[in-house]
Amino acid sequence: MSAANGQLIEVEGLTKHFPITQGLIFPREVGAVRAVDGIDFAIGRGETLGLVGESGCGKSTTGRMLIGLIPPSRGAIRFEGQPIGGRDAEALQAMRREMQIIFQDPFGSLNPRMTVRDIVAEPLVVHRWRTRAERDQRVRELLEVVGLASYHGERYPHEFSGGQRQRIGIARALALRPKFIICDEPVSALDVSIQAQIINLMQDLQAELGLTYLFISHDLGVVKHIADRVAVMYLGKIVEIADKRRLYASPQHPYTQGLMASIPVPRPGLRRARAVVRGDVPSPSAPPPGCRFHTRCPHVMDVCRRLEPQLLAVGPRQAAACHLVNPPDERGARAS
Amino acid sequence: MPPLLSVRNLRTEFEAEEGAFAAVEDVSFDLGEGEVLGIVGESGSGKSVTALSIMRLIPSPPGRIARGQILFDGRDLLMLPERRMRDIRGAAISMIFQEPMTSLNPVFTVGDQIMETVRQHERLGQRAARAKALEMLDKVGIPSPAQRLDEYPHQLSGGMRQRVMIAIALSCNPRLLLADEPTTALDVTIQAQILELLRELQAELGMAVILITHDLGVVAEFVDRVIVMYAGRVAEAAGVHPTFEVPLHPYTEGLLGSIPSLDDERERLQVIPGVVPSPFDLPPGCRYAPRCPYARPACDAGEPPLIELRPGHYAACIRHTGYRFEPLTEAAAS
Repeated sequence: MSAANGQLIEVEGLTKHFPITQGLIFPREVGAVRAVDGIDFAIGRGETLGLVGESGCGKSTTGRMLIGLIPPSRGAIRFEGQPIGGRDAEALQAMRREMQIIFQDPFGSLNPRMTVRDIVAEPLVVHRWRTRAERDQRVRELLEVVGLASYHGERYPHEFSGGQRQRIGIARALALRPKFIICDEPVSALDVSIQAQIINLMQDLQAELGLTYLFISHDLGVVKHIADRVAVMYLGKIVEIADKRRLYASPQHPYTQGLMASIPVPRPGLRRARAVVRGDVPSPSAPPPGCRFHTRCPHVMDVCRRLEPQLLAVGPRQAAACHLVNPPDERGARAS
Repeated sequence: MPPLLSVRNLRTEFEAEEGAFAAVEDVSFDLGEGEVLGIVGESGSGKSVTALSIMRLIPSPPGRIARGQILFDGRDLLMLPERRMRDIRGAAISMIFQEPMTSLNPVFTVGDQIMETVRQHERLGQRAARAKALEMLDKVGIPSPAQRLDEYPHQLSGGMRQRVMIAIALSCNPRLLLADEPTTALDVTIQAQILELLRELQAELGMAVILITHDLGVVAEFVDRVIVMYAGRVAEAAGVHPTFEVPLHPYTEGLLGSIPSLDDERERLQVIPGVVPSPFDLPPGCRYAPRCPYARPACDAGEPPLIELRPGHYAACIRHTGYRFEPLTEAAAS
């Protein structure tokens, strides 16, 4: 495959197992947390893929692998058709200019001892971008783009509110004119009125600069607003991936359905959130055999306990990993 | 019949480097027996400080309740000696918090912590207290409660810990439960389970509940009446339907417009411009005026009173009275 198919990012069989070790002096592996366990997806140029799921489903680990903060255990990531692994340092550095990340915590992700100008300029300095005067000019532009004033550059992060800090984080991410931005719960720590300001800003920036986003969030409402397509993760697997409209209008996987039913809607009397998903998420170090969701699924069948469902098409631009919607061909399928 | 709880003109102050400021100012409301009230607002609106003031758990210094009355069953809690307040806390009035990990003691078993509360308030022997603890764990839907009784908080998931907190809070049959963001730290599927549990227990035990949250979805589904707070004051107080269907305070309107909801087809979210003012730099009149699309010069003339604009529907806004400070009827929310 090449970039000619319009995909900016392609991910195949991406896996991350964190070893669990025992013994202080001679640590040995006694197991693994299977944070991400073989996922495939692609993101087109200018598209926003929402990646949703609950704590521990592997969505943040996926984001970190994409940007190279965590090395994958297995699997391939291609950026513009070129594999990310196996490049020399120089090529890797060049590619990293094209990808940036925005974090959830606008307090922990900005160095409190640096001025805002130095924070925003840092990627420019690291990548030896032009002269000091040009960098200063670029920082002023960036602050303006994200809705801050140029005098804010002389201040320190603690002088800003949560929403303003997130704007600083966005300005820093935009500094090198990246093509791809991983947004890891960028509005989760913000109050709802400020959240709306940041979501609108991110939509404007995308339209203006032609950005591609991977938008990681636990909030299906926020994702519905910003994403074109949505992937739902559960215990290290993608259980459903679809165009936004299809996913929200007719979710196929019982987990997606359960997630949506669990969300309280701000219309009194209209509908009540129902706890259709019972129990707790099992430990990712010992995921259940067969379908990983079978311990909590209201529609569980016998086959779900034995056979792992594959992510298969259930309609145009919609795929789900569920035996209920894609009954298994028991002879051909592999038992897991 | 007098209300179960009546908060009158509460003002709670905190001492900071820059001087004292009021985190809660002139807050008044009533709560009937068995009623479910939601207090909503964003960070710094004063909603948690209101709850902590009712429990008299404001850390002093730096905080203090500077003015007002908190009448519970007709008695002013603020006048009670601390010893008497301790009898009420955890018994007649109970509270659950956002962080079930930090509000449980990590070195005691779950059973010990329920028994501690029970024995604080009721004369029960070890065995009877243990039986009560077991009953409570069962009541809050913890599977294999007999085994869980001897486990430590770190062995439980977040949802299970919150169930334990609820078991502790309800172990002495409170008449009022204060729930401060009880599901905010939980995943949505677990949040739905906990809200369902609270709803069932509220109906079964008939206690009054004050639910404090920033989540308007949770409020819409859980409460009978809503108080919206902004910058330490009550902006709007009404039944849950009017609050969401015909909000009369521009802040409530803005807040509702900025939620990215599941059943929402808008391309663009409505935005409240600017930020909440610092308590040291409050605007001259209405605290919301600098962000308000309807603000007029009159709004800067003074703090707007809470006006009853429709029966039982109060808003601290002069827009509906022709921007005049002569309200039709001025009263506290009740």
